[in-house]
Parts: sequence; structure tokens; C-alpha cells
Amino acid sequence: MRMAIQSIGISGGFGQGVDSLQRALVAGEVEPQTGEVERNGTVDSFPCYRAAIDGLDEFFPKRALRRIDHYSKMTLYGASLALKEAGLLEADRSRMGVIIATGYGALKTTFDFLDSYLDFGYSCSSPTHFSNSVHNAAAAHVSMQFKATAPSLTVTQFEMSVASALLTARHWLAEGRVDQVLFGATDEYCDVLRYCRKRFFCDGEQGPMAPFNFERQSAVVGEGAAFFILTRDEQQASYGYIDAVTLGNHVASPLELPADDFVIAGADGHRDCGQWYAETIGSLPASAYSPLYGSFPAAAGFDLAVAALTLKEGCYFTVPDNAGSTTTPEEAPAKISCLKFGPGGDYGLIRLSR
Amino acid sequence: MEIKEKLKQVLIEDLNLEDVTPDEIGNDEPLFGEGLGLDSLDAVELVVVVQKHFGVEIKDMDEGRPALQSINTLAAFIEEKSNG
Repeated sequence: MRMAIQSIGISGGFGQGVDSLQRALVAGEVEPQTGEVERNGTVDSFPCYRAAIDGLDEFFPKRALRRIDHYSKMTLYGASLALKEAGLLEADRSRMGVIIATGYGALKTTFDFLDSYLDFGYSCSSPTHFSNSVHNAAAAHVSMQFKATAPSLTVTQFEMSVASALLTARHWLAEGRVDQVLFGATDEYCDVLRYCRKRFFCDGEQGPMAPFNFERQSAVVGEGAAFFILTRDEQQASYGYIDAVTLGNHVASPLELPADDFVIAGADGHRDCGQWYAETIGSLPASAYSPLYGSFPAAAGFDLAVAALTLKEGCYFTVPDNAGSTTTPEEAPAKISCLKFGPGGDYGLIRLSR
Repeated sequence: MEIKEKLKQVLIEDLNLEDVTPDEIGNDEPLFGEGLGLDSLDAVELVVVVQKHFGVEIKDMDEGRPALQSINTLAAFIEEKSNG
């Protein structure tokens, strides 16, 4: 069974909404913001792609959001935009499932809760921080706020989270457990993440991103939420279809990409994953769009949004790559493979068509 | 800073009451229900807030119920416990 993509809601370093993503794709670049973390009297400045949630007030009163953290707000915002585009904000959502794919979950709140525990002890640990720190909090907020009373789930498998969660979405739809799935990919930035990434990658976090330079670490941290309304109803396919989702390991069982597909590589400047892209893509027409939204596990959902938009618009978006090795297809692609590798050769492959 | 002013400040910050300013919280205004509009989840959070910012423990419902009525009752409770 293939899944029709009915609508998209998205917020990332390029702005908010599908129009912002499309403008970024047409421009071919997004200037990263400057993040700053003060530690031990020194200021650490670094490039990053942060997502704004200013427009959330359009959908919810502030009071309704006061116990909800940035991660869940980002998630709610992406979900709101997807529902709005599909015209489902006022619809009966009792048969709409919710699935969130995330690599890190509520990172900032998790560390805030741990800090409060360490600083003030058990009795002074915030119950609100605790409830927001569990991975399923964002999915629960989405289900509750939108009265989406069908199953609600969060899937966490780092870089493979999006592909893995999509398999579940397809099962739910195929089994008839739901009529639609409100599917989201969300990850957030936090200062602890910056600390870790700086320790691991040092100057490799300074950009500029060069996803097709597989020899150099060039990742720039990002965050955001990409949402999709997925349905069995093929008449609702505003953005084409997800035909197949495959998870595997290239080392154990080498991946051979479909010869007639345009490849959107999830390459995001992580050198550890570079060799897998180099081995599998070869001379196929391919591009990577991570320089528009940065590096984070759920960015595979952003690649999916780019693929869906490419199919809808029937055109090809060029993103200048610093290594200059992007191969341009001869005509607008009719089939797209979104490929995401993890460092150990694990891969997620999502195939889409018009 | 006076206890009541500090209480209002930490209430707004720790309970994320972005739509209220300290001046808008009356000292005798009920914290729950019709007044400031806090609920049972806020009550649990308030116990933590009072202990964290004022070093005063609200041990049980018998102590908490009268103390958590308003800014005035909560400030009086904190003062009494701090001086006791």
C-alpha cells in the first residue's frame, strides 16, 4: 500500500511554512543564525539553524501552551500548519493517528529536569519538567490539543527515526486502524547538544556545510519540525505518494539504489556517514538540502518534505554544494529516493512518486 | 525584595504565566479557580516553587490548602515558617 501525502506543515531555520521552504529551495541557500553559549566567562559563538514558533499563537491561546516546552511547541506548530493546509483544523480527528519521529526527544527539558534534580534534590524537581521530558510528551500534546484520539506514538531511532516511524504509519493505515496519520519529524537544539557536538567535532561544527564533501566534517546544528498528513485516500495526494520504505544495513546487505530515481541524500556534513553515500549514490542524479536546515536526526523528515514539494511542483531545486559534486537530473524527477545513512551503515530509504 | 513581590515574580516565571504581570495579581485574589486560574497541577508545582525559592516545605494538604489560597496567605505561611 502506498501512502498519499495530503499536506505539509514545516518550521525550520529557513522560516515557517511550505512557502518559506520553497523560497529557500529557489534561493538555494539559507544563512545560518549565530548561536551563543556563555560558559566559564567566555562566549562560544557558532552557526546554527533554529526554528521560530512565533505563529503558534494563531492556533492556541497562550494559557493553553504555558506548560508546554519549546520542543513540544515546535511539534505543535508543525502539526497545526499541516492540519491547516489540509483544511482539517475543524474536522473530526477521532480516526487520525499521531506519530512523531525524533532522534533526541525533548532534549532541553530533559537536561533542565536533571539539573533541577542535581541542584535542588528530588523534592524540588519540577513535575512539569518531568512530564515534558518524556519522549512521548510532544505526541501526547498534539493528540490532546487536536483531539486526535486514534493511536499516538513516538519513535526514536536516531538517524533512522523517520524511516522507522513511517513503517508504523503505513501499518496503521494498511490495517485500517486509522484513516489518516498526522506524521511529524522533530528535533530541537539545546546548549548541552552544542557542548557535546563541539567536543566531538571541534571546528567541524563551524560550517559552511558541504554535504557532498565526504572527507570533511562540515555539519551545522539545526532543529525544526516537519509534518505530513498521510492517508490511504489516493484522491488526497496533493504532494504525491510514499511508495516504499526500507530499513537495512549496507554492510550486512549492500544497498543498490533504484537506477531511475533522483536521490535526495540525507548527507549533512557528518564525515562518519560520508563513505556510505559515496558508495551507494555513485553517478546517480542526486542532491542534498541539509544546508537549508542544518544537521539533526529528524532532518530526514525535511528531506521528505523537499521530495514531496519537488514532485508537486514538477521541477528540480538546485542547491549549490561546496564540493561541487551535485549531479543535476536532465528533467524534473518523477521518482525520488530519500536516503539517510547512520554511521554504522544503517540506512533508511523512502521512495516517492508523483 | 518583599516576599509578596518575589512570590508574584516566581509564580509568573516558574508557572509561565506570560499573560499576567506582577501588578495584575491582587494580594487577596484567589490563586485557583476564578482568580488567577491556577489548577491542581500548578498546586504541585507551587509546592516545589516555594521550597526552591524560599526554603520552606509544605508538608501536606492540611498545611497546603490554607496556605495556597492567595498571595497574602502564602506570604504569611512563608514568613511564619521562616521565622519559626
